[in-house]
Amino acid sequence: MNIIIISTIAMGGLGLFFSVILAITNKKLYVKEDPKIEKLLEELPGANCGACGNASCHDLAQKIVKGEAEPNSCPVADSEISGKIANILGVESKEVITRVAIVHCGADEIKRKKRAVYIGGETCRVADIVGGEIACSYGCLGYGDCVDVCLFDAIEMIDGLPVVDLVKCTACGQCVEVCSRNIISLETFDKKSLPATIAIACNNPDKGAVVRKICEVGCIGCSLCERNCEDGSFYMEGMLALIDYSKVYNCEHWDLVIEKCPTNTIQRLAKESKVLV
Amino acid sequence: MNIILIFIAATIVNNIVLTYFLGICPFLGVSSKIESAIGMGLAATFVMTLAATVTWLIYHYILVRFNVPFLEYVSFILVIAALVQIVEMFIRKTSPELYRALGIYLPLITTNCAILGLTLFMVLREYNFLESVVFGFGSGVGFTLVLLIMAGIREELEFADVPEAFKGAPITLIISGLLALAFMGFSGIISTS
Repeated sequence: MNIIIISTIAMGGLGLFFSVILAITNKKLYVKEDPKIEKLLEELPGANCGACGNASCHDLAQKIVKGEAEPNSCPVADSEISGKIANILGVESKEVITRVAIVHCGADEIKRKKRAVYIGGETCRVADIVGGEIACSYGCLGYGDCVDVCLFDAIEMIDGLPVVDLVKCTACGQCVEVCSRNIISLETFDKKSLPATIAIACNNPDKGAVVRKICEVGCIGCSLCERNCEDGSFYMEGMLALIDYSKVYNCEHWDLVIEKCPTNTIQRLAKESKVLV
Repeated sequence: MNIILIFIAATIVNNIVLTYFLGICPFLGVSSKIESAIGMGLAATFVMTLAATVTWLIYHYILVRFNVPFLEYVSFILVIAALVQIVEMFIRKTSPELYRALGIYLPLITTNCAILGLTLFMVLREYNFLESVVFGFGSGVGFTLVLLIMAGIREELEFADVPEAFKGAPITLIISGLLALAFMGFSGIISTS
């Protein structure tokens, strides 16, 4: 009987002692959190992709509440979500600029010229250590690291080339970071023009003769596109053509430019007319 | 001398993870990145040292004194749970980044069998106060060490050509088995029991 009483007192005492200590520390170390942060977190994608420049969605929510970041700072969220975020904060929302990932290589499995047989780890980052199979040292290695890293299931390998689903793509930038050959970039678009998205499918800055030897679709730097659209929507950087997406849809001949390109380096990305709303 | 032996024994020879296979949950769960492995290791080391200290005091000054040593399990669990709560609040206040990186595994230290295991070992081996503290700290260092080794291997493993069927958990378990085999090479250097 005695032992029961003693153990009850001992355990009760211990429990009481620790609950008092916990209560005190809780008071002392209490972290005040704005209830708005929780609400914002529910609206944010929660993928913690880091595209906004913060370590996590929680960090961004904190900054938005503090006013250090705009309600539309999340590149993944569409305008509906940023509208909701603005509603929670009680401010007016701004239109989100649409950005998507664009792949700058057009050498698919058939067009890709090989310079060696590669046996080894089947990831781009491993293959790039020795250069992989592809002859072009700027082109896509084709092992799909970008597909694996995509949090939104927006990249698919078709004929050994990554194809970005422009609807699903949220421009989080994970693929840009993982690509060992830096052939993916984020481009800014006007939403209405997205269905007709075009891209320079080459990233090789070498001279025309060199490029022609190793790739069928590589940009040879003929500057025909630059001359056809005089407003600067296509421009040359060294021996590589680039597109200024803020101007290109004002150029009347951009349709023609695609046809005129001798190596078909300028390509339409949205093959099936995916209409974005 | 005895203290140093206990420390080395707890860290390497009788490593709590690879010899007793305690604390496997965080060992497999938080070992995919070196950064979070270090954070988890440090948190666990802190809790282990503290738990060993406090449980020794409670065992000897309350349980033994009032002749109720059978309460060791339930009271130790209580102590560990309370300590983890305090550590959690402390980390949340001082380093929100670490708090988020540790995620669910921090509250899971509460139910980490490695910590309960070491407090029970401490009673079983009849350590004195200083020895218990060193034992708790040594076990924590051993835990961190193994977590770090595992994280290092798993970071390299990302580039390895692992057969489809072994990807993920299976290869991790195989590696921990091999690591345990390697650590068995230390057995017999120091005899503790």
